[in-house]
Amino acid sequence: MIGQAVLPTPELVFEPLLPELVLVVFAMAGLLYEALAKRTEAVVHLSIGLVGVVLAGGTSLWLWDWDGPATVLGDAVSADRFAVLARLLLLVVAALGLLLGHQYFARSGDEQRGEFTPLLLFATSGMTLIVASADLILTFLALEILSLALYVLTGLTGRRAANEAAMKYFLLGAFSSAFFLYGVAMAYGATGTTKIAAMALALTGTGEAQALAVLGFALLAVGFAFKVSAAPFHMWTPDVYQGAPTPITAFMSAATKVAAFGALIRVLDVAFQALAWDWAPVVWGLAAASVVIGSILAIAQTNVKRMLAYSSIAHAGFILTGLTAAGSAGIRAAMFYLVAYAAMTVGAFGTVMVVSGRGEKRTRIGDYTGLARTNPIAAALMTLFLLSLAGIPPTAGFIAKVNVFSAAIDAGYWVLALIGVVTSVAAAFFYLRVIVLMYMQEPEPAAPSLTEKVGIGAENSATAILAIPAAATLLLGVFPGVIVGIIRDASVLRW
Amino acid sequence: MTAQEYAFAVIAAVGSISAIAVVTARNVVHAALYLVVALLSVGATFLLLGAEFAGWVQILIYVGAIVILFLFGLMLTKAPIGRDTLDNTHRWVGLLVAAGVFAGLAFLIQDAFPLDAEPFEVFHGSTSVVGESMFRDFVLPFEAISFLLLAALIGAIVLARKDEGN
Repeated sequence: MIGQAVLPTPELVFEPLLPELVLVVFAMAGLLYEALAKRTEAVVHLSIGLVGVVLAGGTSLWLWDWDGPATVLGDAVSADRFAVLARLLLLVVAALGLLLGHQYFARSGDEQRGEFTPLLLFATSGMTLIVASADLILTFLALEILSLALYVLTGLTGRRAANEAAMKYFLLGAFSSAFFLYGVAMAYGATGTTKIAAMALALTGTGEAQALAVLGFALLAVGFAFKVSAAPFHMWTPDVYQGAPTPITAFMSAATKVAAFGALIRVLDVAFQALAWDWAPVVWGLAAASVVIGSILAIAQTNVKRMLAYSSIAHAGFILTGLTAAGSAGIRAAMFYLVAYAAMTVGAFGTVMVVSGRGEKRTRIGDYTGLARTNPIAAALMTLFLLSLAGIPPTAGFIAKVNVFSAAIDAGYWVLALIGVVTSVAAAFFYLRVIVLMYMQEPEPAAPSLTEKVGIGAENSATAILAIPAAATLLLGVFPGVIVGIIRDASVLRW
Repeated sequence: MTAQEYAFAVIAAVGSISAIAVVTARNVVHAALYLVVALLSVGATFLLLGAEFAGWVQILIYVGAIVILFLFGLMLTKAPIGRDTLDNTHRWVGLLVAAGVFAGLAFLIQDAFPLDAEPFEVFHGSTSVVGESMFRDFVLPFEAISFLLLAALIGAIVLARKDEGN
């Protein structure tokens, strides 16, 4: 052959990316259906979304026994079990989000938006991509994909509060993305690569360019802290969680945390593992600030969504507490916490959705007065989720807290564990206050009962959806062993 | 000094002076035009280093698109033009932040690339090298960017279409 040599074609092993490809294909299908069909049915949208999520889950499960290379596509995607477990958790949350959203639009006065399902699938594909990403460039792009979709989902209903929340989320999110990208650039300057495996090798054993690497990590940490809503980068959380439509709050409060923590775990325990002595104090500080600020500010809230938002800040702190332990021990504690947190927070926001009624009118804590009389099932569900969020046995939240505290103590950070225990006790106050209101006081005479408002059928199907997180919360609390083995297998990062 | 270093000195001087002129200009349109010069000299620096792709992208995107957007924005919003509206009272804070960023970057750069270190082999980032690398080593991020743009486009349409309905 004369002239230019033919480029050697790289072998494309794309199977570890199948879950994302499936999600993207179904998102496109949803968009095409919305654009081409003469009359669109919400049920068809829901089915497209659910089939996509289930198929993506099936391909993820198949990847559990993947015996190909640890990273594929130019070392950009990891094919380890950690990615599989995180993806499955995300997909379950996405399915619950789709179901709750369907209920929400079916009964609220808001116009049914055909873009809901595709956008939620877009967000999910970004989230499942980020937990498998082994290249900081890809991590950044996945972060942007999920964030953009979430900004739009937040403002989807076009209600004033939702628009304001979307705007705030977008501005602060863009700001934090810039920090993250700057951190990637610094890390590249220090190591000459953006692949986390190569970064780990470059940082091992050399004292050179340490300042640049530490600064790079600090900037990356700012970006991650914003996404997981850890203090002091939590300012957006209460406004956005309150303003967004409740099913979307349920989805993003759980899924964004799983996705961002999944990526953070790879950055901490692979890329920067050689600098563990430098990043541990940073994680310590973020964890302590988050549990204290989240718990204290939650006490003063009068809106249930805001209270749960502050509680999610505190929970980000508890997960960070587990992550102060480097390596597999920290990953195990954090993963269990993420599973438990996903179940209880989706459940709690889902119950808020059931109680709030059309147009999200009833979201004050006072609206829960005497709920046990007017809607005993919702009151019972809320009690279960609140007990779990407070960390009271026999719920998942208790086991999860024990795990992160013992991981931190084993790593020598007993002061942090002590701060966590003390704030947990303080936080129990505002969770229990809602339970007391629901069970020990008479309903306000003016408050209409829920069944009158939305009809028995709508209420029952929404409650049936919530049976899934409720069962998970109880099961993980009573028999945590069912998932411990799976998490142990998934806690070894391959790179 | 080599010819390359002389050229760099000229470009750096032009770039720095126009960068200062951006913040001291009394007219916001003049500031935008000075910004064009500053960005052009950054592009020229890339070209000088043999990074032709980065150089032309810098010029195309920043000069060709972003500054033009600035000017369109000024024109369409009838932004107030003149000294009083441009000035604000945070000059000293701004100076402090600028000095801090400069000191921090200067420290980091000399820390990572000391002056007495071996001179770098200049890597020529020609367009064909960039293209090969992009479609071989970075093919997945490239596809992810396309998808990101699609998501942004759909998101923009979803948000914009709502106003029409109201």
